[in-house]
Amino acid sequence: MAGLGTPRLVEHGSVQHRVGQLLLFGLFAAIFLWQGLTAERPGLGLLTDAIILAIAVTGLNLITGFTGQISIGHSAFFGLGAYTTAILIDRGWTPGWTFPVAAVVAFVIGCIVGLPALRLKGIYLALVTLGLAVAFPAMLNYKHLAGLTNGALGIKNLTYLPPEWTPFDGRRDLHKWMFWLAVVIFLIVSVVASNLLRSRIGRAMIAVRDNETAAAVMGVDRAQVKTVVFGLSAAMTGVAGSLFAVKLTLVEPAIAQFTLLGAISILVAMVIGGTAATWGPLVGALAYTYINDWAKTQGEENDIAGLGGVIFAVVLILIARFAPFGVVGLLRKLRAKFVRVVPKLPAVQPVEPVATGDHT
Amino acid sequence: MMHALMAFNGSLFVERMVNGLAEGSIFALLALSLVVVFRATGQLNFAQGEIGLFGAFLVSTLTLSGLPVWLSILIAMVAGFVLAAVLERVVIRPIEHRNPGAVVVAAIGLFLGLNQMHSLIWGPDARSLPSLFPSGPTDFFRLFGAAVYWQRFGIFLTLLVMLALLWVLFNRTKVGLAMRAVANNAESAGLAGIRVGWVLMIGWGLAAAISVLAAALLAPQGGLSAALMFGPFLSASAAATLGGLDSPVGAVVGGLTLGVLKAVIIGYVGFLGGDMVFTVSLVIILVVLLFRPGGLFGSERVERV
Repeated sequence: MAGLGTPRLVEHGSVQHRVGQLLLFGLFAAIFLWQGLTAERPGLGLLTDAIILAIAVTGLNLITGFTGQISIGHSAFFGLGAYTTAILIDRGWTPGWTFPVAAVVAFVIGCIVGLPALRLKGIYLALVTLGLAVAFPAMLNYKHLAGLTNGALGIKNLTYLPPEWTPFDGRRDLHKWMFWLAVVIFLIVSVVASNLLRSRIGRAMIAVRDNETAAAVMGVDRAQVKTVVFGLSAAMTGVAGSLFAVKLTLVEPAIAQFTLLGAISILVAMVIGGTAATWGPLVGALAYTYINDWAKTQGEENDIAGLGGVIFAVVLILIARFAPFGVVGLLRKLRAKFVRVVPKLPAVQPVEPVATGDHT
Repeated sequence: MMHALMAFNGSLFVERMVNGLAEGSIFALLALSLVVVFRATGQLNFAQGEIGLFGAFLVSTLTLSGLPVWLSILIAMVAGFVLAAVLERVVIRPIEHRNPGAVVVAAIGLFLGLNQMHSLIWGPDARSLPSLFPSGPTDFFRLFGAAVYWQRFGIFLTLLVMLALLWVLFNRTKVGLAMRAVANNAESAGLAGIRVGWVLMIGWGLAAAISVLAAALLAPQGGLSAALMFGPFLSASAAATLGGLDSPVGAVVGGLTLGVLKAVIIGYVGFLGGDMVFTVSLVIILVVLLFRPGGLFGSERVERV
């Protein structure tokens, strides 16, 4: 193309690169700030749902994006977090304190699930986790656990009123409080996830993803890495579930988010956002939530049974076809036409003669 | 001891076993179709049950227009074959080598789309489907004093016939040989002159035809609705996992095992009840996989670095 010229090269970590990143972050921040201050109930509620989904996706992204394994069972951890919060609130706890407990419960169960995952690869793990997604609602209904879960009736009245120190005015500002709580938790979870990736364990995770056997040969303790990653992933998705419970103010086994459908939406949102991308979970969750809502509206406006579902399905297939690496992958490809981020080159060191016997 | 024996009802046991085998045969057929696709492409087709459902709806239309049931099922199997072959070519193939996650999303898209398509074409109301076998209240024979209904037993017989046909196809025909070659190593098969693309389409088509048969056998009892294939698909994928995803024998053994297990749990393990059947199956499968990560009959692939 004549007018386009060659893409501009930007060094990773340079001032230009940092400014670019800040601008992108600022764009999202501005949209959220604008929405959080002005939007009213239904609109803000939908955006809150999207952010809750983004938190859950961030959890799944830890496993899939960075160890290459697919879980179709994260609805179980989502539900586990929601039920932990619900059961504790029902027993008189302050809602805020139930969130860390939910994270710990999901972490422990996640580690336990992660243990068999050590032996299973690829599609077998996907199928076992799929079984987990199916078994979870059945366990909620199980009569011998009803003392805890209250069976099919579920647990109600889980309102989380804004605490005194927040600027929100009690029940009237409940939707805004839920939105900002979700935003803050999303930021915390994202920072934890992205720091984790740059840590020792993060590099080990990526090594396991790219070639498990090679990573083991290089001395990566696969068992430890996978178990911890599974636990952390479950914990993040569990906290998303806690938020979901207080936003909806009730939990029951029939809620779609706790079933296989929930696991599928977390997985689909992750892939259409772009796996292993920092912005993937947020972009994917937003895309998933709004496309789904739009498709549903189309179906309802035309009053044709099944139309909404078919439209949504067609969009999914089109995204898989034309953006196989997700929306973020597509945007990166577009960006590469204009700006190309190159890794920082190591400074050239003068070659010195090797001093023998000086190695430690 | 005597008391326990007296309490045991032999004919009830036989009836429950036959019911378990009948349901297990449905699982086995669906699991077989999953295995056929997996062997050819290494993918799990999430839309497998829904393709079968599509065929079952077609059977209902055809029988309503006056065709005999067996002919309707055959036509629907052919239609399912064509539909799946086209879907493989148009939806799955273009993304196959790009990102496994995208293939999963496309398959989930197919699953949702086909599931909703039924209500778009055939309306949201449930339908009934006539049975392929005599299904009156007196159509049974006695086995150890138990009444074995032809409708149930026929499903099991159909599975056996299907297995024999598949064995002949895989071991005695050129197409079967090509399919085995592609399953073993697609690249080498391609170099040896096999048209891999065609084989993949045939694999999807064949799997679809089997699923249509499974759905058409199930619908007379389950009622024909959009939700018909959810449960059986999950059980079938569990069965395929148990047996080994690349093993047809494993699919059949896994399917029948899960069917019988379900009947035994519902019939004899009262404190668990119907809700927990799948959970119990899952735990058993997990234990099996811990000792044999590739399933009972599956092969473990050795990876070189």
